[in-house]
Amino acid sequence: MKLFAPLLLLAATVQASILTLQSPKFTISSKNGDQLRSEPISMTQKPSPPLQLSPADTLKLSFQIVDKDNGKAVQPQQVFLRFYDEESGEEGIQPLRVASTGKVKFELNMSKPPLSLPPTSTAPLQVTLLLGSSSHAPLKVQLFDLYVPASYPVVPHPDEASFHLLPEIQHTFRPDPKLPPRFISAVFAGAVVFGPWVVFLVLLFTISPRIPRLFSPNVLPFTLSLGAFEYLLYQYWVSLKLGDVLLYGAVLGLVTLFTGRRALSSIAEKRMGAKP
Amino acid sequence: MWSFYTFILLIFGFVSVLDAKSSSGNSVLVILDPARQPDYSIFFNGLKEKGYDLTFRAPKDEAPVLIEDDIPSFAHVILFAPDSKHFGKDVTPQALVQLLSSQTNLLIALGQKQNLVTSLAPEFSLILPPPGSSLVSYFPERKEPPTVVPIDVPSSSKILSSSSSPVWFSGVPFALGNNPLVFPILSAPAEGFAADSEGSTADALFDAADKGGEGLWAGSQLAVAAGFQALGGARATWVGGVELFSDEFAKKEISKGVKSGNQQAAADLAAWTFQESLVLRIDSTTHHLVGTSVPKEHYTTNDVVEYVAQISRFNPSKDKWEPYSGLDDLQLEFTMLDPHIRTALPPVPGSPGKYAVTFRVPDRHGVFKFVVDYKRKGWTHLQSSTTVPVVPPRHDGYPRFLSAAWPYYAGAISTSLGFFLFSAIYLAGDPREGNLRGLRAKSTKAQ
Repeated sequence: MKLFAPLLLLAATVQASILTLQSPKFTISSKNGDQLRSEPISMTQKPSPPLQLSPADTLKLSFQIVDKDNGKAVQPQQVFLRFYDEESGEEGIQPLRVASTGKVKFELNMSKPPLSLPPTSTAPLQVTLLLGSSSHAPLKVQLFDLYVPASYPVVPHPDEASFHLLPEIQHTFRPDPKLPPRFISAVFAGAVVFGPWVVFLVLLFTISPRIPRLFSPNVLPFTLSLGAFEYLLYQYWVSLKLGDVLLYGAVLGLVTLFTGRRALSSIAEKRMGAKP
Repeated sequence: MWSFYTFILLIFGFVSVLDAKSSSGNSVLVILDPARQPDYSIFFNGLKEKGYDLTFRAPKDEAPVLIEDDIPSFAHVILFAPDSKHFGKDVTPQALVQLLSSQTNLLIALGQKQNLVTSLAPEFSLILPPPGSSLVSYFPERKEPPTVVPIDVPSSSKILSSSSSPVWFSGVPFALGNNPLVFPILSAPAEGFAADSEGSTADALFDAADKGGEGLWAGSQLAVAAGFQALGGARATWVGGVELFSDEFAKKEISKGVKSGNQQAAADLAAWTFQESLVLRIDSTTHHLVGTSVPKEHYTTNDVVEYVAQISRFNPSKDKWEPYSGLDDLQLEFTMLDPHIRTALPPVPGSPGKYAVTFRVPDRHGVFKFVVDYKRKGWTHLQSSTTVPVVPPRHDGYPRFLSAAWPYYAGAISTSLGFFLFSAIYLAGDPREGNLRGLRAKSTKAQ
């Protein structure tokens, strides 16, 4: 029996000390005093539709805190209204003043919102009443959902953004340069090439020169080295660097010097020989 | 028998030394009144078993010093002296901040009395209630006094084991400023509030709130434990009450037959503070042209470049850094003054710890940087910056044959060919001018 005594005592105190609200109700009135909505609050379910306050409206809330068993007025230590925005996680707590009769009145004037009202988003504020007392069991009542005009958003710390995923940035590239149609380029390239060549070939066939010494060992190396020079210049355009070109050009030049001397001297010899 | 026990203890001690370590050192200085030392034996023994080397010092002692010759003497400092008014002369707020900037981690417990710790707290963006306040909550109904509060461990917590049962707390709740370096580890319950004593009435609370400003400390926006990670990487943990670590709360049941989560929470708090958990590092970063593997000294505009980062996470149970592919929100910036490109740096499937992204270098030349700046609350901050110049194409870096210029190329080549053909014919021709004479003969005949 001794063992159970504290437990029984505890059970007894728990039994004896339950708080309840008497005649809880809310009233919404407009700026000029018209009552827009006035309803008693049920302890078990939230009023539907949720409460709506426009910027000039006033919400009045009143109730009396009593002991459930003997109906006596109670003055708990903690009488808080908690406003909670589920979407942003913002929370505000407003302590309320209790008269010695246990009566509590609260007025929320939206033209002068209290500091405790948290920054709001589009979601409704969940309004909860918290009653805590050292002599009674605590009581938590979900009063109602409340739509209030949206506030300015909270200004975060300037560095706060860098602690979250930042928006992606893509570079806008310059558009590719526009080229004329390839067909036109090809036509003009053709014109440039074929015009002179047609004239050249026509004239060439008109005079149809004899070329008896095309493959002569004296002349051919010089012709080939001239061709090699042309090819070197082409390679310079396509891939080679200036240093390479100068090196190859110097070597080729030396070769050309000798082949040229030989070719020209052989031609001169022929001409001298041909002279009567 | 004695020697056998010592042997066992030695073995145990040896194994536990190998068992787990912090990523930043094992020496811990505990500033604590020696008389209170046995009150926290579970917490301290837990640390010793993990392999920490604890040195105790009474608050008023002068030795061992925190900083000797500008070098911190310990890797971690636990400051469990919330009620001490006077400290040894080297324990100053400046010294604690210097410790933090030289990579020493701090675990600090706050108290109700005003002292060095409460005056340091605002520097960490903690906003403390008036001195003498403590957290009061009448919820849930229980036989403990309202200042001893069970707090649920948030299920989303990365630092505290979410599976553990609620934690007993008794001490000071505090609000957090909007500094992003500080974040709550354990939030106060929504029904709780800070009050002078149990006896404070609704009227007193109403008047306090009515004064405006910071009149009322209440609700779940308050924290009872907060983490602060300095820019240098050192960590500081602030706990509202030192009792959270006590043997009394560790053994206290949360409900009948269910142990409280204090022992686990205390160990988790220490593990985070001492850089065991949520510790990351960048092992290496590299960049190269797609299709090659050697980093280039500079890139050309419009090159397609691959950037690779290798990231490891510290595993305290093996005392090893292990490749870690679990970051899914890593981002790479390619910046010249401002980021020109910011793109996700995703883990490469199949190769642990490797994060890679391929992108096209912007068509702006200048000195660019590959920047990885990963900051998430609780995790080590990862920072890496590699400078690389981006140059326009060289004179021979452009395409050689543009279609728009075909007539020019064709003209030049055709002239070359013409010259070659003319030279060949001229050199190979008959020197005796027979042909010319023949032509002349023809033309005279025609006349």
